[in-house]
Amino acid sequence: MTTATRALTTVSTSRRRRRVKAERYRYNTRAGKVFDVFNVALLTAIGLIALFPFVFVLVRSFAPEAELESSSFFLWPKAFTFEAYNSIFSTPAFPRALITTILVTAFGTVIQLFLTVLMAYPLSKRGLPGRNIIMSGVVFAMVFSGGMIPTFLIVKDLGLLNNYLALILPLAIDPFSLIIIKNFFQNLPSELEEAARVDGASDFGVFWRVALPLSKPVLATFALFYAVAIWNDYMSPLLYLNDSSMWTLQMFLKQVTSASNLQSAQQDQPGYVAPSEGVKYAVVVVATIPVLIFYPFLQKHFAKGMLIGAVKG
Amino acid sequence: MKITRRRTVLASAAALCATALALTGCTASTPKSTTATAAKFSTLTVMAPYLSTQAPPADNPVGTALDKVIGTKLDVTWVPNSSYGDKTNITLAGSDIPDVMVIQGKDSGFVSNAEAGAFWDLTDYLKDYPNLKTNEPAVQEASSVNGKVYGIFRARDVMRTSVMVRKDWLKKLGLAMPKTTADLLKVAKAFTDDDPDGDGKKDTYGVVIPKWPGGFATNSPYDAIETWYGAGNDWYKTGGKLEPSFTNPKWIDALSYEKKLVPYMNPDYATLDSVNWNQPFLTGKGGIIIDTYSRARQIDKLLAQQDPNTYQNMVQVTGNLVGPSGTMYALPTPGYSGFLAIPKSSVKTVSQLKGVLSILNKMNSKQAQIIMNNGLEGQNFTVKDGRAVAITSPDATNLQNIVASYAQLGTNVNGSKFYPPAQANAYDQQVYDAEQATMAADTKHAVYNPAAAFVSKTYTQEGATLDNIIVDARLKYISGQISLDQLKAAIQQWKTSGGSQVVSEINALYKKSKK
Amino acid sequence: MSIQKLDTATESLLVHETGSLVRSPRPRRWLATLNRYKWFYLMLLPGVAYFAIFRYAPMGGAIIAFKNYVPFLGIFGSQWAGWQQFEQLFGGPDFARILSNTLILAALNLFICFPLTIVVALLLNELRLTVLKRSVQTLIYIPHFLAWTIVAALTYLLFAQGSGVLFNFFNGVFGTHVDFLTSPGWFRPLIILQSIWKSTGWGTIIYLAALAGVDPNQYEAAVIDGAGRWSRMWHVTLPAIRGTIVVMLILSMGSILNTGFEQIYLMTNSLNRGVADVFDTYVYFVGISQGSYSYATAVGLFKAIVGVILIGGANWIAKRLGQDGIF
Repeated sequence: MTTATRALTTVSTSRRRRRVKAERYRYNTRAGKVFDVFNVALLTAIGLIALFPFVFVLVRSFAPEAELESSSFFLWPKAFTFEAYNSIFSTPAFPRALITTILVTAFGTVIQLFLTVLMAYPLSKRGLPGRNIIMSGVVFAMVFSGGMIPTFLIVKDLGLLNNYLALILPLAIDPFSLIIIKNFFQNLPSELEEAARVDGASDFGVFWRVALPLSKPVLATFALFYAVAIWNDYMSPLLYLNDSSMWTLQMFLKQVTSASNLQSAQQDQPGYVAPSEGVKYAVVVVATIPVLIFYPFLQKHFAKGMLIGAVKG
Repeated sequence: MKITRRRTVLASAAALCATALALTGCTASTPKSTTATAAKFSTLTVMAPYLSTQAPPADNPVGTALDKVIGTKLDVTWVPNSSYGDKTNITLAGSDIPDVMVIQGKDSGFVSNAEAGAFWDLTDYLKDYPNLKTNEPAVQEASSVNGKVYGIFRARDVMRTSVMVRKDWLKKLGLAMPKTTADLLKVAKAFTDDDPDGDGKKDTYGVVIPKWPGGFATNSPYDAIETWYGAGNDWYKTGGKLEPSFTNPKWIDALSYEKKLVPYMNPDYATLDSVNWNQPFLTGKGGIIIDTYSRARQIDKLLAQQDPNTYQNMVQVTGNLVGPSGTMYALPTPGYSGFLAIPKSSVKTVSQLKGVLSILNKMNSKQAQIIMNNGLEGQNFTVKDGRAVAITSPDATNLQNIVASYAQLGTNVNGSKFYPPAQANAYDQQVYDAEQATMAADTKHAVYNPAAAFVSKTYTQEGATLDNIIVDARLKYISGQISLDQLKAAIQQWKTSGGSQVVSEINALYKKSKK
Repeated sequence: MSIQKLDTATESLLVHETGSLVRSPRPRRWLATLNRYKWFYLMLLPGVAYFAIFRYAPMGGAIIAFKNYVPFLGIFGSQWAGWQQFEQLFGGPDFARILSNTLILAALNLFICFPLTIVVALLLNELRLTVLKRSVQTLIYIPHFLAWTIVAALTYLLFAQGSGVLFNFFNGVFGTHVDFLTSPGWFRPLIILQSIWKSTGWGTIIYLAALAGVDPNQYEAAVIDGAGRWSRMWHVTLPAIRGTIVVMLILSMGSILNTGFEQIYLMTNSLNRGVADVFDTYVYFVGISQGSYSYATAVGLFKAIVGVILIGGANWIAKRLGQDGIF
């Protein structure tokens, strides 16, 4: 076949395949088509409603102060300005905070996810002695915590103040995530494990070579959860980092927002210079965009049929 | 990184050195008790909030200049203002407590820590330091905890209450600036009914009031009106005792007035976010705001940004209004915004305390004040006619932001010795000077809170919820949700929910203080 | 010895132990046990250490619920107060009202927001246009990142008396004078609408991950058996994620009394406080804003105990119905 013919054949073949599939799976019935249209419309509407406030914030972050003060709602600013972003980016603290946060988030996510998964796997083995006690302990820890000050004292006693590990370790394992991951491992088909054992793998080997690769959707999900939690965490840097040159993005951004929000009495402090109104909105955009970009990269792990290859192969 | 402190207690020789250093920078600063008991500090650790977007970097020019003046290195831990309360408590719970802490307010957390012995009682020490001995004893008393002065207060303008009105609307309708509450009602009605912006639509209203984020007696527009009516300021004296102002019959009168004002107010007075308070005024929807002079200046600035040619005709500002009794009752601020407290955990002996106080004394000298409030002359400001004119350049602005943070350490307990800011043009200058004059005039009629110094134990525990009862009742009454009888029932509920206990505790403290 | 029907995990454990499915007597010496499962215990070690150090050690600090904690005096130096904080909580005049407000919001959350998240996940799963599916997935989880202050500001924009877009529309169309933001009757609907908007998208992520793990062979088998779309959803999709749903449900019982302080606080005003006050805002007013950590800890303890009881109960019910619980 020539390339052209091959190309044409491929196209028409895949279209044909899709049509065949659609017929077999009964997507093409009238009810099916109506549902599809309705579904698409509904989900698009939902998507737009979800997007709208972010667009609102985005638009206002590019508007000059005078316009923001005078108009509460507009879809496109009368004057387009970067002044809000400038005042954020030109602050020397900003790039340092940004890089710090990216690094802490990256390393932190890996550490936290690793610790969680490592603990979840043994807990998924129902016969393991001591499992129930540990599970109860995890569940109780999920609903109750000692509080901000006692946790601070423990971290301090460990000598972790002014140490980036204090942003990662105190919240390293989230009980909720631990339980879900454990349940996931519990539901993996045991034939796979048997097969590995027949090949002479140890318990850890089964975990490393069988369970982990199969759990990509779960790993991706909780990598996202942990990364977002670290990224958004502003309590930990506040409590544990006294040195302002170590601060993360959230500390910086929260202060910027509060600085532009002060009531008039506070603004009367001698010499006070308020940042522009638009900064509040620019802050939201800057804090959110990196995480938004992260998700699509993880989505490919949510593809269907991850298990299929494993069983057949 | 924390710099290790080295503190040594030296003999008189060292004290003399300290005096010599002090004399180089300040006008009058020799403490009377220059005995061997004042310890020398080479570094003083301080914890302070900052309001701007970033903390001053270490070794900034302002800090260095200030260190030279006071003769000690200031090691400041800057904390974002939005989280200062939590950080204060964490610090007190830990072991790394600084020598001096800025305390933002006399809240019950602070009170319980102070009464547990966390801070030095400075009442008897301050008078020995010329720059720390205040010329406003009433404010110092108000900042104390039942008479005990736990910190050097940070002075603020006493009289800030002002009314700002759309000048062009007044002109169009041929009205004069309101001087009494009756005038205010008339003007508000006219602004609502008589189309002051001349566009043929009934789209304007009189007073703009937001959802007030504070509790009772926190200088809200409602509090201002109630004080103007003679109800008192939070508490009032009657028959030798102190009673809450809302038990005063004049308070009910004030509420009736507020109820009459509601049709001429913004319809979302119960929900408008105070962050957006200026908006209706700027967009030509509302014509009157009752707040502070700084808001008036802020609005002027924003109007100037919108249109530099017309803003001078848009806003007229006055001070307090006169209530129906004909006497002016002006609502003052507490006069201070927190204080500088000295923790006992880090400053352990009286000798060390005196050392800290002498440094703080130098920090309140004229030269230090200029650095902390104006900045570095020639670098971010110049002096013209005794006023500070800001230099406009990116470097100067950076310096200015740093200065704003250091201003948080300022106490100014016996008057501001720094240069007042120069205004942008002649009109602004004239407005500013008029403001100062009105402020001074109103201060003579200020109604101070007689219970400011007293801290009631019950109020410490339940104050916020008790306040909510009154604040909610006020709003429900003026909005028509409840009747007058129900309002009075709410006041009664306040009493039975712990309010009467607060009253008796306050009066016990009052009696004790009069001795 | 009969071979009983075992679940997959225990099966694998037995296979590991004995090389067959025949049950043999469990080793009695715990040392032998440790050795047998040494890999598992080794893997558990870091996690258990974490919980001990960072979760359970601080719990000792919860004792401040029984004291009048003053940060300066420290945990041990603060004065003992016994049940005083709890008396203040339960004995306060508002306790019944606050409890009912909290429970009503919790119920609304459970019966509206929870199922809605699953429905949206299922609908997304039915989308066959990958591009659209991925885009909508990304869009709907954006609200999770916007702070409540933004949500509140937008709610105000839409519903404000006089100026709100939806306010004018609604009252214009129906000729009513409803003030959404101050009327007590509209408080809960607005809160639920906000919660749906903010948390649904994020919540679908878990379910979508679970749906990704559904074996396509099962769909094939169903199609061969003649199942239509609804049939497939009912008999294949839903059962596949049933385990996830049950676990999520049980876990959400633990935090049922957590309504989210910031959201409620921003929407509360003097005119609707009667229905708006919940535990979290009440604790703020009585506790944190006045520096009383003891009170806040006491309320936290109360919430935790309720949470544990509810989780235990839900777990037991789930097991009775034949599902995997979380224990």
